[in-house]
Amino acid sequence: MAADPQLKEQVQGLIADHPVLLFMKGTPEAPRCGFSMRVVQVLEAAGAEYGAIDVLPALQPLREVTTELYEWPTFPQLYVKGELVGGCDIVEEMLDSGELAELLEVEQPDAEIPEADRILPGGSQTSPPMQLG
Amino acid sequence: MADLAEIKELIEAALPGAQVEVLDEGGGDHLRAIVTAAEFEGISRIDQHRAVRAAVKERFDDGSIHALSIQTETP
Repeated sequence: MAADPQLKEQVQGLIADHPVLLFMKGTPEAPRCGFSMRVVQVLEAAGAEYGAIDVLPALQPLREVTTELYEWPTFPQLYVKGELVGGCDIVEEMLDSGELAELLEVEQPDAEIPEADRILPGGSQTSPPMQLG
Repeated sequence: MADLAEIKELIEAALPGAQVEVLDEGGGDHLRAIVTAAEFEGISRIDQHRAVRAAVKERFDDGSIHALSIQTETP
């Protein structure tokens, strides 16, 4: 099934416009999946500013778009400076190795991120509005 | 419900010589694959993950795998 061209264009635009963009299930205040929650925690710990898009309202169409664009069908997906970084596994690995801090141009966060902690509102995230056609 | 042994075999078939461990992280459809392969040398993490996912694509498509955590290493 071909991806919706309008949605594809919209996604490409969002990725180009935001230095750090997270496609996730749910929102940073209320993640709907453990992997999405962990990426949010990593970004919050790094103190990086990021945009967050909730993919759940258009999950299948968005899967088609990202599969077509990047051969990557699963969420969460982190994009930094227009490039796909990866999902939760890769983000966490890069956090541990120091690569993520370098990529985000932030200081390497120190302590271990506690498991399954509640995300507190008012973090460094700024969700851009997303109109789905 | 995914068959852990089958998943291991699929990955081993796609990446000959790789060391593969497949664990159930809960419920039978959240899996973790730890794959060590010399062919991962010099390839981006994203491409390493794509290779593992391609190996088990059918099981994703038919819904037996709901989530697959992937950890890749080089020997």
